[in-house]
Amino acid sequence: MLLPPRLQQLLAALRCLPGIGPKSAQRMALHLLERDRDGAERLSAALLAALEGVGSCRRCRMFAESELCTVCASGARDHGMVCVVETPADVVAIEESAGWRGAYFVLLGRLSPLDGVGPEEIGIPLLEERLAGGGLRELVIATSVTVEGEATAAFLAALARRHSVPATRIAHGVPMGGELEFVDAGTLSHALSARVSMAGDR
Amino acid sequence: MTRAGSIALEPAYLLHARPWRETSQLCEVLSQRHGRLGLLAKGARGARSRWRGLLRPFQPLRLSWTGRGSLPVLTAAEPSAYLQLPAGEPLFAMFYLNELLMNFLSRGDPHPDLFAHYGGALASLAGGQPVEPALRSFELVLLEEAGYGLNLRHDVVSERPLEPGLSYRYLPERGPVATDRDAAGDKLVFSGAELLGIAAGDLGSGENLRAARRLLRSLLDHHLGGRPLKTRAVLSAMRGSGAA
Repeated sequence: MLLPPRLQQLLAALRCLPGIGPKSAQRMALHLLERDRDGAERLSAALLAALEGVGSCRRCRMFAESELCTVCASGARDHGMVCVVETPADVVAIEESAGWRGAYFVLLGRLSPLDGVGPEEIGIPLLEERLAGGGLRELVIATSVTVEGEATAAFLAALARRHSVPATRIAHGVPMGGELEFVDAGTLSHALSARVSMAGDR
Repeated sequence: MTRAGSIALEPAYLLHARPWRETSQLCEVLSQRHGRLGLLAKGARGARSRWRGLLRPFQPLRLSWTGRGSLPVLTAAEPSAYLQLPAGEPLFAMFYLNELLMNFLSRGDPHPDLFAHYGGALASLAGGQPVEPALRSFELVLLEEAGYGLNLRHDVVSERPLEPGLSYRYLPERGPVATDRDAAGDKLVFSGAELLGIAAGDLGSGENLRAARRLLRSLLDHHLGGRPLKTRAVLSAMRGSGAA
């Protein structure tokens, strides 16, 4: 191959990123070395700093630079309400949209026994500690609406019941701006079975 | 029109799927006439996948695929019915069925009867029927189909029919042998009545059901050769955490 060994190593390393194949890796590496050596410097420093300085929150498993993440450390949040999500990306999505004022718990995965992912792997012991600690008024289960996500939700609900903490599941059904005609059968059937009363709107 | 080596609209269930490359997934499928097989679903995880929300475990499907190699490619999928997933324990019981199938079936052996039983078991679990009898009768059929059928009729040494009043010790891969030990000291000792009840599919009574659970658990473990079943561990963790 034409490229020197160190450059080849860089190409191989870049391919650990999702969606990056050999072509994209080559384009990125050549760009960094050819046109943007300062950017490359910043990138490598930032990567190193993030690797060294970012760990996970000891209460909710969200990424954090100190013992607690910003949400868990905040005095303005309602720590009696905990929203359970699968990934840090879910926390970001909820923070950007929904006006959730409670805290979070990040599973970093979902129950999938056939892949060897059990309760331990998704941090259930830590969540159980928090449930047992008292002071929780509601556990909001916001796992994804897949078969594994539903299984995880069922498991969490059983856990909450044991600690007498009320558990709720986020609603799912027809999306905003969605026309019934184009909604898939499973979603539509669920939306119909989980309909809500409009009596309060009168 | 079907090309050579392609299958059209075969009744099937997805047992398990793993991500593959960026947007595809590798599906492990149980089909009616082609048994268990692996299928590559190209682009199934993409944002605009035609199969979004459809390729999921337990959902009765009709699948088309093409290619005879070790990994045929999925070409079409449609639902053949809509299964409302149960919550809680029955859902984990369904995963348990899938784990059993993944462990006991090899790719490419057709098991149409087992396919029908699997569909029946899913429907009864989804329909809120009691979990334990559904699991036990599925396990019996599974062992039979996998070539480990149980002998629940004759004493393998004396070759005489089982008698309800006698005690028998069940030897894995052989069958019951009359014994004077009792069940308290040995988990493989059963009364003739229990074994005959299991043979007749009478799992309604508490004794027969408990005996079937004890017997089948030992036999499954024996044939798994020490490999643990993950779903069983999750299910017992869940029971331990106070679920019904």
